[in-house]
Amino acid sequence: MPETEALLPRFRAAHTQVLGISVDSIFCHANWAHSLGGISFPLLADFHPKGQVAQSYGLYLGDAGITDRATVIIDAGGTVRHASAVTPAGRRDIGELAALCEKVDAEYGSGLADFPSPAGLGKVDALYVKSNCGHSLKAILGRDNLHLQGQVALKNVTEDSAAMGQLNSLTGKDQAPCLVVDGKPMPEADDIVRYFASHATDIG
Amino acid sequence: MIAVGDKAPGFELPDHLSRKLSLGQFAGKRHVMLLFYPLDFTPT
Repeated sequence: MPETEALLPRFRAAHTQVLGISVDSIFCHANWAHSLGGISFPLLADFHPKGQVAQSYGLYLGDAGITDRATVIIDAGGTVRHASAVTPAGRRDIGELAALCEKVDAEYGSGLADFPSPAGLGKVDALYVKSNCGHSLKAILGRDNLHLQGQVALKNVTEDSAAMGQLNSLTGKDQAPCLVVDGKPMPEADDIVRYFASHATDIG
Repeated sequence: MIAVGDKAPGFELPDHLSRKLSLGQFAGKRHVMLLFYPLDFTPT
């Protein structure tokens, strides 16, 4: 996955959206992506019903309860242009796959619009978080997976009473996580992560 | 395994950034590369 993350500009230039997919949950995905230094392209959870999408592509290994390691390239018209599996223990060559996507893009009849530039986050005051809080962790993982550490400062209201005071005066309560952008509080972890994703990346 | 030339089966799934994404939302706009892999936190 980190090799793919490094090559995202090449996939973008080839008008290709990269999507990772396994049978793990979104919580597992977010933590694993974080452990790899941050994965910003979508990791899809084929979790419930388990492996249903992998099954529809003929890539579910039912005896082991896992998905094969495999790559499917689909053109913008919805037609499969490449499908290959390397076994679960195998490795794929991401550079080779980028070249294949470039070929698919060059051969595709109508030219596709380029990926738009992200809108940007606006003026972020801080992401207020609490210690030992799963919702705060979710917001932090979202920030880090999108490589936004430099743009979004953390303030821990459990450890820092001044931060708690600021959160209280900004929002009138002590609910965290809370992202404050342009002076406005955003209190729900999923909303915060979606805000990061929709303003800092180029898919909706 | 699905074959070259087949119509790709549609799907809608949640992602690790709190979204729901479908294959259909990219139709006519993007090519899509699906990277299937066995499990998180495992080698390669």
